Amino acid sequence: MKDDYLWDGSGEPDPEIQRLETALGRYRHNLPAPAFEAIAEIRSKATRSRFLTFRLSFGLAAAAALLIAVTLFTYLRPKPATDLGPAWDVARLEGAPRVGSHSISANGGIGKLGVGQTLVTDSSSRASISLDEIGRVDVDAGTRLRVVRNGPDRKRLALDRGTIHATIWAPPGEFVVDTPSAVAVDLGCVYTLHVDDSGAGLLRTTLGWVGFKLNGHESFIPAGAVCATRPKIGPGTPYFEDATPAFREALFKFDFAGRTPEERSASLDVLLAQSRSRDALSLWHLLARVSDSERARVYDRLLALAAPPAGVTREGILRLDQPMLDLWWNSLGFGDVTLWRTWEHDWSQRQTNAK
Amino acid sequence: MERQVVTAGPVTHLQGDDSLISAARDGDRAAFGRLYDRYARMVHGILLARVPPREVDDLVQEVFLSALRQLHALRDAARFGAWLAAITRNRANDYYRKTGPETTLTEPVSENQEENRTNDHAVEEEAALILAVIRTLPETYREPLILRLVEGMTGPEIAARTGLTHGSVRVNLYRGMQLLREKLGQTTPGARFGLA
Repeated sequence: MKDDYLWDGSGEPDPEIQRLETALGRYRHNLPAPAFEAIAEIRSKATRSRFLTFRLSFGLAAAAALLIAVTLFTYLRPKPATDLGPAWDVARLEGAPRVGSHSISANGGIGKLGVGQTLVTDSSSRASISLDEIGRVDVDAGTRLRVVRNGPDRKRLALDRGTIHATIWAPPGEFVVDTPSAVAVDLGCVYTLHVDDSGAGLLRTTLGWVGFKLNGHESFIPAGAVCATRPKIGPGTPYFEDATPAFREALFKFDFAGRTPEERSASLDVLLAQSRSRDALSLWHLLARVSDSERARVYDRLLALAAPPAGVTREGILRLDQPMLDLWWNSLGFGDVTLWRTWEHDWSQRQTNAK
Repeated sequence: MERQVVTAGPVTHLQGDDSLISAARDGDRAAFGRLYDRYARMVHGILLARVPPREVDDLVQEVFLSALRQLHALRDAARFGAWLAAITRNRANDYYRKTGPETTLTEPVSENQEENRTNDHAVEEEAALILAVIRTLPETYREPLILRLVEGMTGPEIAARTGLTHGSVRVNLYRGMQLLREKLGQTTPGARFGLA
């Protein structure tokens, strides 16, 4: 019965309904839950603050003043979402960026962006977000960016698509950007993050370094390096942009295009043969991404390019001993991985507590 | 060929709504997040049946925040879906009250500027046309059709989430589909802009 397919998807598929599903699927809901915990926390603080104010100003005159203030607030606030926490200033750089349904080309080209709100730039508009004391994010044309959290110790955006340029001077780990295929964690840096319509991303670091993570798959991207990411796969292996074309092509195949062990092994052959000293960055990441049988080859090549410090043994690396891997990473001079481990521990605990 | 899988799984978790609502009332935001996961598609679909697509994502968040604030007023946890659906429809109505031409604070934004969901403009146009045609149908039909065809919910899931009976959802789905077929059959490329 074709009707069964309309009812519950069972029975003989109806091609016309399938065509409609395919066409309309682009409108389907696909955003994760906002940070209700953070929003509630902010609102709870606001409630406590109001209660204290009331007690201190107990008396007819004070109550009258409070009544006036509340009345003014109620009538003058531009949008309910703005009382959900601190909001950042958004400046129009070009065109007519929007926060929700409001264009910020009016009002002097300045708008506010709070938790739960979305900044959208069309093909002819750009904007700049001032993150108060922690940095700035410039938003290119064709971008959709949401504020998931704006707490005192954690700022979290979600880049659904488009391009942002982040200049962050917050403590490492405080500024986080979710993408459909990885989470970017600022470790003190300047970087550009792009997400296309399929959810695939590319992160390019200009200064400092950035951590990229999805489901335990992690990449560290120092200045001068880039890292691609794909939905359901996560971040690929970071590499320096001046690596040879053959190296970059082999890395792409290894990360995203290699369907069989043989194809991945062939790509690894090229990577090992083409790697330079600076490519120790990529080889260190590959240690945890190759099969057990191939790890020794990567170890030997990395050993030749950047000898490990005392305390790191071949056996330890081959069994992926994390402290030894971290020691070797730190000796490469790209950044202290302790920052990342601290953030990751904190982040994992928050995730666990949220379940 | 993306996202055309019909999902029936969440229906099996409905028994847990009571405990989630109870926990959410006690301040457990993770529990409220679980409710969001279960009901976000319903809220999204109801809004999509009423307001411009570019506004829907923001309004989904506003609906859930509103529900979070009002959760203490929900007397019967078993009616959470119907209650949330009512909040959603009210929010959609509010949207039009607040963004009428007299009260619009900002410049109008062209539909053509708003969403660059794909580079394939022909496919995008076809989707926009179909959605526009669905939105011309009576409310009784367009809501279940969008929940089924856009959000990928099954009929039983639509019934469970919205609090309607299976019979009612089934009839509305079939009649709505029949009307949609007729309207799409009449629609020509030149007539599409008259349908929005």
